[in-house]
Amino acid sequence: MGAFVALGLFQGAVYGLLAVGIVMVYKAKRAFNFAQGEFGGIAAFCAYLLIVALGLPYWVGAVGGLAAAVAMGLLVERAIVRPLESSSRTILLVALVGVALFAIAVTVLLAEPVPRVLPPLVEGGGVDILGAGIQPQQLILLAVLAVLAGALAWFFRTDLGLAVLASSQDTLAARVVGISPEAVSRLVWGMAALVGGVAGLLYAPVGIFTPGFMTATMLVPAFAAAVLGGMTSVPGAFIGGISIGIVQNAGIYLLGQQWQVPGASQLSVFALLMLVLLIRPQGLLGKEA
Amino acid sequence: MGLLDVSNLRAGYGSVPVLHGVSMSIEEGSNAVLLGLNGAGKTTTLLALAGLLPVSDGDVYYDGEPLTGSPGARVRSGIVLVPEGRHVFPALTVRQNLRLGAWTVRGDSRRFRQNLGEVYSIFPRLGERSDQLAGTLSGGEQQMLAIGRGLMASPRLLLIDEASLGLSPKLTEQVFEAVKVINQRGVTVLMVEQNAGVLEQADTAFVMQQGRITVAGKGSAMLDDEAVREAYLGS
Ligand SMILES: Nc1ncnc2c1ncn2[C@@H]1O[C@H](COP(=O)(O)OP(=O)(O)O)[C@@H](O)[C@H]1O
Ligand SMILES: [Mg+2]
Repeated sequence: MGAFVALGLFQGAVYGLLAVGIVMVYKAKRAFNFAQGEFGGIAAFCAYLLIVALGLPYWVGAVGGLAAAVAMGLLVERAIVRPLESSSRTILLVALVGVALFAIAVTVLLAEPVPRVLPPLVEGGGVDILGAGIQPQQLILLAVLAVLAGALAWFFRTDLGLAVLASSQDTLAARVVGISPEAVSRLVWGMAALVGGVAGLLYAPVGIFTPGFMTATMLVPAFAAAVLGGMTSVPGAFIGGISIGIVQNAGIYLLGQQWQVPGASQLSVFALLMLVLLIRPQGLLGKEA
Repeated sequence: MGLLDVSNLRAGYGSVPVLHGVSMSIEEGSNAVLLGLNGAGKTTTLLALAGLLPVSDGDVYYDGEPLTGSPGARVRSGIVLVPEGRHVFPALTVRQNLRLGAWTVRGDSRRFRQNLGEVYSIFPRLGERSDQLAGTLSGGEQQMLAIGRGLMASPRLLLIDEASLGLSPKLTEQVFEAVKVINQRGVTVLMVEQNAGVLEQADTAFVMQQGRITVAGKGSAMLDDEAVREAYLGS
């Protein structure tokens, strides 16, 4: 059981990292960003290209991968989000699902759907935590999530962070005080893509990765994590991610292995989500500013 | 030459012209009023001055220089709009709203404290409610917040669009009184109103009809002019 909790904690860190980016876009745009996983996908593939295929140093690959993710974020903002500024949020949601599917299709075309291995940030043997073998990369992932969540929570209390919230609440009022909502929009998508890129870069080396690896297995639990945390709370996304990881893996152990319940993983995630939302419909920490 | 000189200003929405050549001059330090019926083009005029609406023709001089640039650049140069309908940030606190009012002068913490103190002295209610969400304020309090937010940018020319809209006569009087105080502290004010009561405190008054200024003169003189009031203000 202990090993499952430890595994869940570190898997939850990946959910949390994606959820933090989802919350960022939701706070700024009231949009559900289904493309968040693919910012990680493009970062992992570009890093792979630079490090493994071209043999460049790790840091070049990492910077290149993150730059590609930010470029994709800015492109999505300019080409998809901006033209749909006054459309319904449902239309934007569908468009963002389209972005994710398009990105996956492009990676499949360019890179072929074969499993790949990206080198980790730090090499070295695993450590034993509660009986589970945890890679150094996973420890880094959890630490980075904690630091990023803290930094983003702080960001929303700065003048710039308030400007992001302000632009989402009243565009005219934002312009009246001198804020450029367009610049704010670019900032938000650039930052969300950077966070997504970090998630992909750190998570890909934990196993093997294929086109769509972030979207296929990570995105739904990440959304559950964001909702659990209150959808507008960065610390909530952090706590939500970790809780979902732990409950999911505890569920796999208890329901799946002990009682042979099929679909134990998904069952436990949604049971947790329903339970929390029944007791606290606003999520754990839902609050605007 | 005034602080603001507008001549033959034309603007509209898309291809629909609304302003057909607006001309007016506002002296530095004055309290000017722009009156007119619904749909006359008053809001359009203020939006054009604030840089929120493109101008198709005409000249605007501010402090002797041609007025151009983004809305943000105009706020920085001292032209600050208090928009019609208040437009406070509803899910932010009163204090956060005021902090955003100082967006163009952010980082200047001395000025921030000074302006905040001034806003709280003019509108003590805002001080009492500094941690309350703006969306939960009453209409009158939201209007005070919208004006206070404008003051946080250290304006030279404050454009106030229909502050009295939807307010009780008593609250309207309070808001007008506050604007008078702001003007006495050295801020040039242009108030857009449908409420002719504002003429009592106006040095200069303009009447706008269908996108043109049709009457301009002293505020007190216009208040006494029954013909002007009946013809142009509907009261
Ligand atoms: N966003 C808009 N799009 C098109 N026409 C508009 C818009 N806003 C105002 N108008 C039109 O412009 C004219 C002047 O409006 P406005 O400046 O708001 O008048 P006022 O503030 O004097 O009541 C009106 O005929 C109005 O219908
Ligand atoms: Mg108006």
